[in-house]
Amino acid sequence: MRRLAVAAALILVAQAARPAVDAAQSNPADEKLAPLEQALLAAPDDLKAGNDYRMAVIQTGQYDRALGLFQKLVAANPAAANAHLNYGFAYVDKIPAAGAITQVILANNALGEFTKSLELKASWIGLYTRGNSYLFWPRIFNRTHLGVADLEAALKMQKAEQKRFYHVRTYIALGDGFWKMDDVFKASNTWRDGLVEFPDNAALKARIQKQGDELKTLIESNYDPNKRVDTSLQDLWSSQ
Amino acid sequence: MLAAAGLLAGASTIDSGFDDITAKAGVAVAHHNRQFDNLYAKIMAGYTALGASASVADFDGDGFEDLFVTDSAIDGRNHLYRNNGNLTFTDVSAAAGIGTGNDAANASADSLWLDYNNDGRPDLFIVRFGHSQLFQNMGDGKFKDVTKAAGLDRYLNAITAVAFDYDRDGFIDLFVGAYFQPVNLFKPDTPRFFPESFETANNGGGVIVYRNNGNGTFSDVTKKVGLTLSGWTLDLGHGDANNDGWDDLYVACDFGTDRFFVNNGNGTFTDKTESAIGIDTKKGMNADWGDYDNDGLLDVYVTNITDDYMKEGNFLWHNNGNLTFTDVSRETNTYDTGWGWGAKFFDYDNDGWLDLYVTNGWVSAGKESYVPDVFEMIVKPNLDLADARNWPPMGNKSLSGYQRKKLFHNERGQGFVDTAGRYGVDSIRDGRGVAVADFDNDGRLDMFVANANGEPYLYRNTLSSAGHWVELLLTGTKSNRGASGAQVRAWVGPSTALGAGDKPLLRFVDGGNGFASQSTARVHFGLGAATRIQKLEIRWPSGLRQTFEDVAVDRISRVVEGEAALAPFVAKVTKR
Repeated sequence: MRRLAVAAALILVAQAARPAVDAAQSNPADEKLAPLEQALLAAPDDLKAGNDYRMAVIQTGQYDRALGLFQKLVAANPAAANAHLNYGFAYVDKIPAAGAITQVILANNALGEFTKSLELKASWIGLYTRGNSYLFWPRIFNRTHLGVADLEAALKMQKAEQKRFYHVRTYIALGDGFWKMDDVFKASNTWRDGLVEFPDNAALKARIQKQGDELKTLIESNYDPNKRVDTSLQDLWSSQ
Repeated sequence: MLAAAGLLAGASTIDSGFDDITAKAGVAVAHHNRQFDNLYAKIMAGYTALGASASVADFDGDGFEDLFVTDSAIDGRNHLYRNNGNLTFTDVSAAAGIGTGNDAANASADSLWLDYNNDGRPDLFIVRFGHSQLFQNMGDGKFKDVTKAAGLDRYLNAITAVAFDYDRDGFIDLFVGAYFQPVNLFKPDTPRFFPESFETANNGGGVIVYRNNGNGTFSDVTKKVGLTLSGWTLDLGHGDANNDGWDDLYVACDFGTDRFFVNNGNGTFTDKTESAIGIDTKKGMNADWGDYDNDGLLDVYVTNITDDYMKEGNFLWHNNGNLTFTDVSRETNTYDTGWGWGAKFFDYDNDGWLDLYVTNGWVSAGKESYVPDVFEMIVKPNLDLADARNWPPMGNKSLSGYQRKKLFHNERGQGFVDTAGRYGVDSIRDGRGVAVADFDNDGRLDMFVANANGEPYLYRNTLSSAGHWVELLLTGTKSNRGASGAQVRAWVGPSTALGAGDKPLLRFVDGGNGFASQSTARVHFGLGAATRIQKLEIRWPSGLRQTFEDVAVDRISRVVEGEAALAPFVAKVTKR
């Protein structure tokens, strides 16, 4: 019975996406996006399918189309943790193209989806993503400590796993989180710990080398809502 | 009196740059925000901390620039400060009959001097939430309310006004910007009068254009000229973007898109927003025009909101010369001025490059921030923002308060450096308007800063290292008498390296540009080391072009349209 319901929901989502597919012949964006949408609809919890789709969306600027699709996808597949994760990223992807207030709304919506994803399945990428997202919020919102908590959990998780080159990101972000909480000592130690693990990392080296206003400029430029955040998850499948 | 002014000027030997002479000058009277008395008063309090403004004109023709300063409280008196010629002022508003600009049904928001009847005496338009007023300057120190006779009596939530002769018929026209739609704010009959969106609101008051009929009356020609708008107008700025002799219009809008209108030269305007500046979603507060890079084209400076929680950034619209503009605020260091308000181009050190003063700060109150309250509201899905009841009261919380003002020194057109702290003009009061004028006729531009719910600042420019200068007071004969819109170009020679190649410096008479303020109508040139102006060209709104050769510097001159020579100014220049 449950299976039938899921199948029915999938059909509904597929039907909702059909107009876009039908129009593919006349619209270059459709040509690019429609097949990726079909792939995603066929595998809603496929992190890579969602990622590939989002990257194409960024190229075409069809952010609202993507948000609409993910909204339907998670409605039809509420237990698909990775769909929620990509849905959150879809909100983040639209942020640079939005006005200052809409940016706040999008960022907040993104956090909501990241949280749903983590509630369904705790993962390194989920923790890192949500933790990093919290760091974009100005201090007045008092969310930095939540980001630090997520990033500490991500760090703990990655230490128990096989070392991956992208794990360096946790050290960078966690250090930034401490810095944003005015704990320069912990920030510096975190970046140094990261350098032990990843001695060639330029971002960590830059943070260690800089102080005062220079360091402030460096970190703040990394959390500027008007700059596009690289939300590609391609590293996860890289053989590097 | 003049001798006294000279002594005072000569006594200043310390190069502090700007001296705060507010109290000494007798203008340290605080502005008071309007406290509304209706169902939405607690909510409105946070969004109507407005009305502190200052406007400059020599209303009595004695050669010294006077000031009109607004209050907004129900019993608050507006002030006509007559310049005594010795850097003190006397409030003559009661005798003049223009002090009572506030009552239960009206709140002053701004003011504008304009010689609407071409009699050579600046008249006064008081911009109000309610019924704005036009006062005719009778020439005997008294003013007469001619609002009804002029056809201007109408309820508007007006917040700004500029005056220029858009159709070049010799009579100055009036452009009024309204913030809220014309709902009676004092007794609203609906709660739905707040902005419907933070970024694309179209339920504001728009712009109203009054054409001067030349007989003491005005006609509403808004639709006819093509300026039908419904944005939340905060400021209007006019300037000739393409040097075709017809002044264009920049409309700075809160909660949505600024607009740029090109004057077609046939009594109509065309909205060129999309091609000229693009569609923005910011909170435009100020529109001032000036040629900051001395390339012969007028640029535009617009303030927006930039704070930790909202990084909109200002616009410094560099004029590309083809009716398009490029924002160079980041490149020029004019991007972040906090919650910006009035801003004005002026050359404070007379080096020939337009500097920029920017006021800022919304509400400086208690330690608690209002940001989380707004945040809680904006993330509620499907909330009807137009309904005032959905907005949280601000109470005693602060929002972008205690911000330091900026005095940007122009680094030869390449960028700006903030010198406000160095010169002591970086106050943290909630600034609104800045009116620039040479109050002591010494060739150095002074500043009057109007602050919301606080005392203003009168800063006397005492910079001893300031360069040479010229000031021109233009009088139109065929053109509108106040010469609003007249352009003046000064060739000072390549050796001074003020312009690009042999391009002249360009300045113009603006009819009230800049939020909550009106600066001097005199055309001021800083000239750096130049000791002569090789050639001076005046392009009058009538179309007449006049040139003057070998113009002497360090003096104020009067220019009458069509007369062959510059005339000496009646008030003597004080000696340094």
